[in-house]
Amino acid sequence: MNTILTVFKKELIDTLRDRRTLITAIIMPAVAIPFLMYGMTFMMKTIMAKEEAKKLKLALLDAPSDFMSSIDTSKIMLVDGMTMETGRDGILSDSLDAMIAFIGDFAQQQTDLKTTKVNMWYKSTNMTVKSRMTDIVEAYEKTLLDGRIEKLDMSASTIDPLDLTRYDIAPKKEFLGKTAGGFLPYMFIIFCFMGCMYPALDLVTGEKERGTIETLLTVPASRFKILMGKVMTISIMGLAAAIMGIVGMVVGVKLLPDMPEDMFEVLNNIVSTKFVLMLLLMLIPLCVFFGGILSAMVIRARSFKEAQSIVSPFTFIIILPAAMAMIPGIDMSWKTALVPILNIALATKEIIAGTMDSGMYIAIVLSLVVLAVIAVLFSHNQFSKEGMVLK
Amino acid sequence: MIKVDQVTKTYNLSKQQKKELQTTAPSINAVNNISFQCQPGRVFSLLGPNGAGKTTTLRMMSTILGPTSGDIEICGHSVKAEPQKVRSKIGFLTGSTNLYDRLNPSEIVEYFAKLHGMDKRFFEQRKDMLFTQLGVHEFSQKRIGQMSTGMKQKVSIARSMIHDPEVVIFDEPTSGLDVITANSIIDLIRRCKDEGKTVIFSSHIMSEVDLLCDDLAIIAKGDLIYNNTMENFRTENHNTSLTEAFINIVSEQTHSTTL
Repeated sequence: MNTILTVFKKELIDTLRDRRTLITAIIMPAVAIPFLMYGMTFMMKTIMAKEEAKKLKLALLDAPSDFMSSIDTSKIMLVDGMTMETGRDGILSDSLDAMIAFIGDFAQQQTDLKTTKVNMWYKSTNMTVKSRMTDIVEAYEKTLLDGRIEKLDMSASTIDPLDLTRYDIAPKKEFLGKTAGGFLPYMFIIFCFMGCMYPALDLVTGEKERGTIETLLTVPASRFKILMGKVMTISIMGLAAAIMGIVGMVVGVKLLPDMPEDMFEVLNNIVSTKFVLMLLLMLIPLCVFFGGILSAMVIRARSFKEAQSIVSPFTFIIILPAAMAMIPGIDMSWKTALVPILNIALATKEIIAGTMDSGMYIAIVLSLVVLAVIAVLFSHNQFSKEGMVLK
Repeated sequence: MIKVDQVTKTYNLSKQQKKELQTTAPSINAVNNISFQCQPGRVFSLLGPNGAGKTTTLRMMSTILGPTSGDIEICGHSVKAEPQKVRSKIGFLTGSTNLYDRLNPSEIVEYFAKLHGMDKRFFEQRKDMLFTQLGVHEFSQKRIGQMSTGMKQKVSIARSMIHDPEVVIFDEPTSGLDVITANSIIDLIRRCKDEGKTVIFSSHIMSEVDLLCDDLAIIAKGDLIYNNTMENFRTENHNTSLTEAFINIVSEQTHSTTL
């Protein structure tokens, strides 16, 4: 154990003095979540406010005068002289935002209590146009409807036989766990992987490239113990990246200004001791797995560059199951509980939602421990081969 | 003492390697059935052209590589059966200064001392003695990445000698070094000899061999083609320089192999 700790201590000091590792394992995870939380919220709010304040250019064809007078001209500019064709072209070329056409003899149809067809053209790429135009048309429709009810001397309930009231009793925590919860584990898994990657390249391939491995192998310590010291360092750096991600999230929730109330409430609920402990219990074996598998992969590389090209495709193998958890319909089951990485992502969602089955959780942690042991043994197998270790 | 007994090292060739070496053979012998001995208090020089098998032999002695057949004994311990005991007896130094750029000399030497399981007091004494002898004290807190090649080589020496090894293995220790730095290595080899250690070193520099060595062996294409004392070598080749004598022996071997 002393040898493992000696190697671990030296590798940790060496790694913490490497600027590149510090950026990927400590600084980036710490600022990424606050940046995403604040940056994305700020960006969305700014864009929406800009869209809402934008004065839309609207063309009306055969519109009744009371409809035209109902339009707030401080927010909408009416464009005259358009036909169906020039209006469509105008929307496509962005010189016009929308066009509304009333089809047929509107006055006669309304007198006969018939339906008037109304066509609306817009581009869905202009975020708020559809909803703003729909609101105008629906408000006008309501005045027409009220007029008809009055004319026919009816009560409003005659044409409204059902009064539906919806009660969503899903706790906010569960709703967000199942929806937005997929994004957080994705971030943590990526942080762990990135945190492990650079130390693995430096402590394994770097040592081989510099030739220091040759002198290290002449000390009276077993290769297994030397490898263990390295894998421990790599895993700790991966875990440190995840912890920095959590710290960043907590700091972001507590300190960032102008956070929407809903988001603040949700994140505040997520950042609980139970959540953090349950997440870490899964991330520890995951980081050991990354440490083992990355060491085994990069030991065959003769240079840092070659090691990077070996590891890069593996990044996609990690991202794929992590991203799968965000797909609707992929839920926690005994089958998915045994799929590495996907199980962590799904379990994190369940933990956030407060619906995690304890038996399934234990099975996930145990399966990850087994996976970590296999990765370390595989790494030892590779590290024991003469041809692998020497340049 | 080092006892090399009928050692062979065979490498299996991959398709790519066969293509590069233009051969169809499934394997090659980097070292082919060699035997020799190095005595305590004497300096043994291992000579040979590039690719002769010198580094492979030294790597087998230091247990980095394992022999395919035969065995090597270091201070009575087999590299095959007791590699960890062998490692505790040896100090290994190569010409390329293999150190950690982000650590300082004190940290590096302490790291290797701990891996050798050294007692703290003995370590402090040895460190102080070696740092004084080599002049490392003045830059002992400076990071390796900020040092000159000469400084690095001094730290490398301290690292390989910190546990006071009985056997010292040098693989082209002065290769690529300036005269002053190379001289510090030569001094070290002399000191090791005076302390009764077994010293083996490989080199291409004949003046060094002439200056230091008591016994020598020449390897070519993995075969041991000459093994004798330096005194006998000089007597056998009294009319020629060491370099010429070395070239003649290697050329004769190459010629006979070709025939």
